[in-house]
Amino acid sequence: MLKLKPKIDFEVSVEAEITPQLATLSSDEISNFQVYYGKEKTKLGDLFEISKEGDDAKLVLDGDFSMVKWVGARMDDGEIVVKGDIGDHLGAYMTGGKIVVEGNALDWVGAEMKGGEIVVEGNARNYVGCAYWGDMTGMSGGKITIRGNVSNYIGEKMGGGEIEIFGNAGDFIGTEMKDGTITIHGSCGFVGGDMKGGVIKVKGSFEVVPGFKKVEDGFEGDVNVGGKGKITQF
Amino acid sequence: MHHMLHIKNGIVVDPKNGINAEKMDIFVKEGKIVEESEVDVKEAKVIDASNKLVVAGGFDMHAHIAGSKINTGREMRPEEMRTVRLIAGKFRASIGRVLLTSPAIGYEYAKMGYTTAFEAAQPPVGALHTHEELDAIPMIDKAALPVFGNWHFVLKYVAEKEWEKLRAFLAWALERTKGFGVKVVNPGGVEAWMYGGNCKSLDDEVPGFNVTPREIITGLIQETENLGLCHSVHLHCNNLGTPGNYQTTIETMKLASKFSNDKRQVLHVTHVQFNAYAGSSWRDVASGAAEIAKYVNSVDNITIDMGQPIFGHATAMTGDAPFQFTLHKLTGSRWSNKDSEIEGGAGIVPIAYLPKNPVHALQWAIGLELGLLIDSDRVVLSTDYPNGGPFTEYPYVMAMLMSKKMREKELERVSPYVQKATGLAAIDNEKTLYEIIQMTRSLPARVMGMDNKGHLGIGADADIAIYNLDPLSIDTANDFEAVYKAFKTSAYTIKGGEIIAKDGELVKEIWGRTFWVDATSNASIEAIDSDLNEMFEKYYSLQRQNYGVEEAWLRKPERLVMG
Ligand SMILES: [Zn+2]
Repeated sequence: MLKLKPKIDFEVSVEAEITPQLATLSSDEISNFQVYYGKEKTKLGDLFEISKEGDDAKLVLDGDFSMVKWVGARMDDGEIVVKGDIGDHLGAYMTGGKIVVEGNALDWVGAEMKGGEIVVEGNARNYVGCAYWGDMTGMSGGKITIRGNVSNYIGEKMGGGEIEIFGNAGDFIGTEMKDGTITIHGSCGFVGGDMKGGVIKVKGSFEVVPGFKKVEDGFEGDVNVGGKGKITQF
Repeated sequence: MHHMLHIKNGIVVDPKNGINAEKMDIFVKEGKIVEESEVDVKEAKVIDASNKLVVAGGFDMHAHIAGSKINTGREMRPEEMRTVRLIAGKFRASIGRVLLTSPAIGYEYAKMGYTTAFEAAQPPVGALHTHEELDAIPMIDKAALPVFGNWHFVLKYVAEKEWEKLRAFLAWALERTKGFGVKVVNPGGVEAWMYGGNCKSLDDEVPGFNVTPREIITGLIQETENLGLCHSVHLHCNNLGTPGNYQTTIETMKLASKFSNDKRQVLHVTHVQFNAYAGSSWRDVASGAAEIAKYVNSVDNITIDMGQPIFGHATAMTGDAPFQFTLHKLTGSRWSNKDSEIEGGAGIVPIAYLPKNPVHALQWAIGLELGLLIDSDRVVLSTDYPNGGPFTEYPYVMAMLMSKKMREKELERVSPYVQKATGLAAIDNEKTLYEIIQMTRSLPARVMGMDNKGHLGIGADADIAIYNLDPLSIDTANDFEAVYKAFKTSAYTIKGGEIIAKDGELVKEIWGRTFWVDATSNASIEAIDSDLNEMFEKYYSLQRQNYGVEEAWLRKPERLVMG
């Protein structure tokens, strides 16, 4: 297990593509791992206190990591526990393993993830499980759970997997969604624009865009793109 | 600050001056190549070029590097902007996968030993935007070719056979746009596209103008020659990207047969790969490269450039708006359509060339066939950046043209369709280093009429590239990997006598010149004065007095007076 703690309050963002695999390296290799502080290249050891106990693939991030981006990006196995808040792009492109955030997350949680699991105990912001701008498919496997609220653009271009939001969400839920499931326990704004497939379930109130037709147990659409997406209330 | 250089013991290849791999010294003073006697050898900075190839800086005469098309491409393709090449510091941030930012364009050319690049299609009404972007490209010399083939003035004057007015209009437009020469894109076809149509053959009538592509092309060649411009008509043919179009291309080339010029071609046909398809549909499409090569080799007034596709990402962007719509329909990819008032239009569509895709492999093979089958003083190496792919892969094209062995290796990974639909596998020709330098330096300079570029003779601009390649010992047919690697990054790139890149690293940021052509003294602009007033009043969204670019607005303009 590897524990990281910020040495300073970060003034600009840190870009650190750290995964649980880092915990299996030697202390030297960990300390020299290259990260960016703003536009400057620097070493992990210069920004964080490092303590290593054993070689198991587990990262514990202790403190305020809200300025730290790309944690868990492309991870394929192991575990990350964030004791506080975390920055943008958490678990982007991940294919396996598990991330638990005890505080809040920001934008792009699980963007284009293919497998594994992310749990955020607090809130997240925009673009949960989305496709990056210019790409054709967002999250396509695995599960993202947000216990709090989220903002706009959830599961855009989603091609599979599961997103579950226990709080409320903003607008543009499942836009251009192709497959997979989005469940929202609270209320949200516009749902399903240009949706081609998949299922969106909302417990509270929501707004359907005009391209959906009423069916027995909810709505189907978006007819503008010949879509067979499903929106239901539960 | 003095810039005296003594480039010592290099192996020089300089086709314009007939020098083929001779060990010699080159002397540079005040940005020019000079005689040894003009340089104080003790004062000059010595560059040891022993066992290295010394050539003129590369000259990309056809690329899309500035203006509304590439900028719209950047907006449409945020995914292209994830590749960070250089973080801001001593140099500016340099970003982009194939679609590069303006600084990245200059930096990547410089690292590769290229020192000049021309924007090949400037929408005239967007001239200011184009020049603002050219001004943001460091390191290289630049120019822009405004597009004429669908401009209402041109259509009208050709239809009315008002040759004097057409000549005056060309001169007026070059001055107003600070343009370099006469680019023509799908003449008549883009105007027809305004009504959902196209001009696929030379004799399709342009709606509303009683004129045909045949007449437009012929009229523009005639008046470009009468105006005495340094560059000929630069033509993107009708019927681009259509099976069977090679016949249209040859028929178009024949329109030049009654014209001649002592110094250069009278018609440059661009990215010919896209216009060299035989067959009747995408099902039986095949190569028409051999027929085109036969024609080009048989005449001395036509030049072409390849438009070589590179496997990987690219972005199609041309003033050929109807073709871009067809491409969008074929690929299902994103599409943007541009309109430039009464001047023409454009379209942009992302594309990826895949080796296993039969059509893409065919295009790749046709580009190479053209490069191999056409005489090296008639065919310029180009990818029509970013239409065929990145200019940073020119070294791949160079190495391929020089090595049959490399081509055989590459043929193994592409769709077998090329075996039956092209003649590539049977071509034994291997270009020499001398010919490759011709195709990338001396020929493009001659095609554009730039006497001081593309060679290392006395008086030439001191734009020099030095590569880690010894022409006296390299076996280009077998050591293709070494050839590729050597041309990827220069040992030294010297621009205007200054070292701007060394061993693939940038050394110094400099600002090249923007050339523009002033032919106003060869024509009577008064002849079109009232027409201009009337057309601006009636059709343009802006006033005549607000149209165009003043020389003082450019960072480093250089006016070339035709006369
Ligand atoms: Zn082009």
